[in-house]
Amino acid sequence: MANLQAIAKQACNEAMRAGAQFADVGLSRGKSLSIELERGRIKSSDARWGSGCSVRAIINGAVGWSSAPGADLDAALQAARLAVELAEVADPDPDFRQLPGPASGPDVGPTADPRVAQLTIGDLVDFCLMNVESAQEVEPSVVVSGGASTGWDESVLVNSCGVDLYRESTSVNASVQAIIRRGDDVGSFYDYDVARFLEDFVPEGLGAKAAKEALSCLNARKIGSGVMTVVLGPLASPSLAGSVCYAAVAEEVQRSRSFLAGKLGQRIASEHVTLIDNPLIPRGLATSAFDGEGVPRKPLTIVESGVLRSYLHDTYTAGKAGVESTGHSTRGGISPTNVIPKLGTMTAAEIIAGVEDGLYLNDSFAYPNMVTGDLSTTVEFGFRIEGGKLTYPVKNTMFGANLLDMLMNLDAVSSDYREEPGRIMPTVRVHNVRVAGGA
Amino acid sequence: MRDVVRWVCDEAKRRGAAFADARAGETVGSSILLQDGRADKLSQYIQRRLGVRVLLDGAWGFASSEDATRDGARQAVEAAIDMARASAKLPCDLTEVCDLPPIEDEERVAAEVDPRSVAFAEKMAAMRRLEETMAQVAAGKAVNTVASYSDSVAVTYVANTRGTLIFGEAPRVWMSAGLTVQDGGLRQRWGERKAARCGYELVRDTTPDEIAGEAARIAVSLLSTAPPPSGKMPVVFHPSVTGLFTHEAIGHNAEADLVLAGESIIEGKLGQRIASECVTIVDDSDRGTNWGAYKYDSEGTPARERMLIDKGILVGLMHSLTTAPRFGVEPTGSARAQDAGYRPIVRMSNTYIKPAEQPIELADMIRDIDVGLYVKGGQSGYVMCEKGQFTCRVGEGWMIRDGELAEHVRDVCVNGMTLETLHNIDLVGSDFTLEWPGMCGKNGQGMPNNCGGPHIRITELVVGGLAGV
Repeated sequence: MANLQAIAKQACNEAMRAGAQFADVGLSRGKSLSIELERGRIKSSDARWGSGCSVRAIINGAVGWSSAPGADLDAALQAARLAVELAEVADPDPDFRQLPGPASGPDVGPTADPRVAQLTIGDLVDFCLMNVESAQEVEPSVVVSGGASTGWDESVLVNSCGVDLYRESTSVNASVQAIIRRGDDVGSFYDYDVARFLEDFVPEGLGAKAAKEALSCLNARKIGSGVMTVVLGPLASPSLAGSVCYAAVAEEVQRSRSFLAGKLGQRIASEHVTLIDNPLIPRGLATSAFDGEGVPRKPLTIVESGVLRSYLHDTYTAGKAGVESTGHSTRGGISPTNVIPKLGTMTAAEIIAGVEDGLYLNDSFAYPNMVTGDLSTTVEFGFRIEGGKLTYPVKNTMFGANLLDMLMNLDAVSSDYREEPGRIMPTVRVHNVRVAGGA
Repeated sequence: MRDVVRWVCDEAKRRGAAFADARAGETVGSSILLQDGRADKLSQYIQRRLGVRVLLDGAWGFASSEDATRDGARQAVEAAIDMARASAKLPCDLTEVCDLPPIEDEERVAAEVDPRSVAFAEKMAAMRRLEETMAQVAAGKAVNTVASYSDSVAVTYVANTRGTLIFGEAPRVWMSAGLTVQDGGLRQRWGERKAARCGYELVRDTTPDEIAGEAARIAVSLLSTAPPPSGKMPVVFHPSVTGLFTHEAIGHNAEADLVLAGESIIEGKLGQRIASECVTIVDDSDRGTNWGAYKYDSEGTPARERMLIDKGILVGLMHSLTTAPRFGVEPTGSARAQDAGYRPIVRMSNTYIKPAEQPIELADMIRDIDVGLYVKGGQSGYVMCEKGQFTCRVGEGWMIRDGELAEHVRDVCVNGMTLETLHNIDLVGSDFTLEWPGMCGKNGQGMPNNCGGPHIRITELVVGGLAGV
């Protein structure tokens, strides 16, 4: 088996020999197994494996990227030479400072589980069939789709400033979509579980949960339009947090493409909103000791009691802003890691009980126009709230708001939550949201 | 690679597969990103994959890697057989494979100008012209400009145990221009793109004003827009939205694999009226250099025009070799794989509503509307096929008041129930445009598609805006 680090070092040296001022090389290999279900039976079992290399060469800030399949030396050396040729042609960028140097990183514990790496396709078949059975126990006529997958990969990052890192990762997930028909009426929902470590993976009962929720989605009604209080459940609220985090990406802010541009240090949300990005959570889905460029990671408070405290930086944007990198590089982009909201004092049930007339979103894709923050979206799975209770499912319903207005009108974050490794997903309540209905 | 895919099929047959196919391909590509005056990021890539699919003892298995050598193929066949054995525990019913006569053919899509022959300097200069145009038309209001270009040339081999062997070679070129403009505290963004299955001639034949100037004009106009309305109202679609709607609301629902999986709202409705009589919807791969065009699908089946809805009647679906026998029809050449490393699944190509034969224009559609909305600039959308609920995001619109276009609005999102909305199309225009290339996502695979049609009027749709009507 090829020694990835040795190949990466040679490729990096080749890029420097060919004329790069800075260079970094990433090599990776991995494998995955997956099952796709159809009507509760196995449509296909798939195995994928592969390896690849990518080289970034930088000359006067001009960047040339070259990538190739395979983790062999010849491919990596050729990619290095090509990357330099491209960097020689690209326009210089005086805003580029340098790539990071070596540094000691935090101890995040292992990020790969050998038991997950050793899962077989037979194990995935068992996860799937167990959930088909549990869904059918709830409702024999349920149409079950979904599947399961597992993956393992290892990667190295070497740069011309001395960064030399190795990373290994595993993942396993199972998902179920349940569809129940009664004549022309359709109720559907889904559930899933995902983890890096087997001890965090709980695939049991997904089928039953999805089927129960699908049953509750039958007899959906159209509603009228108006201004309402909206409660976003654990599968819907992360889109609000995610919207804030992606708008806080410094590249978007610096290029004037973000609704959070110019708002650092300002109130952007109610005092109930605190968002912390924590890449160090043991066994978290996005946990790692270093970012994609090799900068050591640490927790970052993005929003504190409603005030925007930080953007997310890599070394390039940090250099332009005159700050330290926050360690959010993906080596080509910037991304949050494990986003943890601060929890409140009321349970989700108490939050709903406090709503006289509103809407509960079981799930919704609530991502706004990232330049303006304007949001207009469909309630994919939602329920009417009347007198503090969920009464009936809704269909053909939308809502619209500016995301910053929603954050200011957010008056509760629940104390209870759905948890995936490294992710806390609470329920939140937002007032004064314009709802459009098809009635 | 030709020998490898043939060997895979022979070996799979020898190992007892009732059917097997293999895809091998290599794609080389490059891209340029020019932002705020600098083309400081250039990239090139090579991608290579081999994918093997087998049907063994009534169950399917698939395996892929980047190793398209004989050794790699040996591993892939072995792994695909292992996978099929795992599926055999509870295989689904898609085990009949249409018995088409084998085809040996080549499809070489000729580029007038091979993008690999064009120097980066020329490509960068073209992107600079786009950016200069945006800055000029935006007249000092641009705070960020992005011009991007990408190209690829893909070589593919598809073979199956029936004897089919197809070689394909096709270039693709994509160019886009987008900007953010600002006036006081207001900021807006717009982009335009052009893409085709052709060579660099796309860039040479496109004037900067066509996409860059247009993007800047629209972005600046959005600075003086009002927030969109909220409520239910009649809506008229510009062709750019007609295409998005057709793709999302009915296109995905008419993919036969979703129908067979119980995930489509049109299950059981073949032969029934599911739309108004003025609606005829087609998916057509046989459209030259169009972004979604191709001659053979990823299973080696010849592609063609597929009539989905004919004057409101659901007459057909899009099929693969395994879905067609379940409906007693011929496959339609609709099985596509993102690349050789993925299993082919049923996908759209170029999907559109056919225009009316008699003249019907936008003015005809708005003159009797008291309060409604005209929307333009389809951006993205999605559909929950199992319940037939679609969402289309649109960049801009105009209120319709007393039969005329009124205030300009921004960021409109509309939602509807597919079967209701198809019946609520009461006017289809006589114009036609098919120029909204994009990438469609399904089951983790991205696929080039195009969509379009004429202007259409829908008597009522839910608009999820921020303002009262």
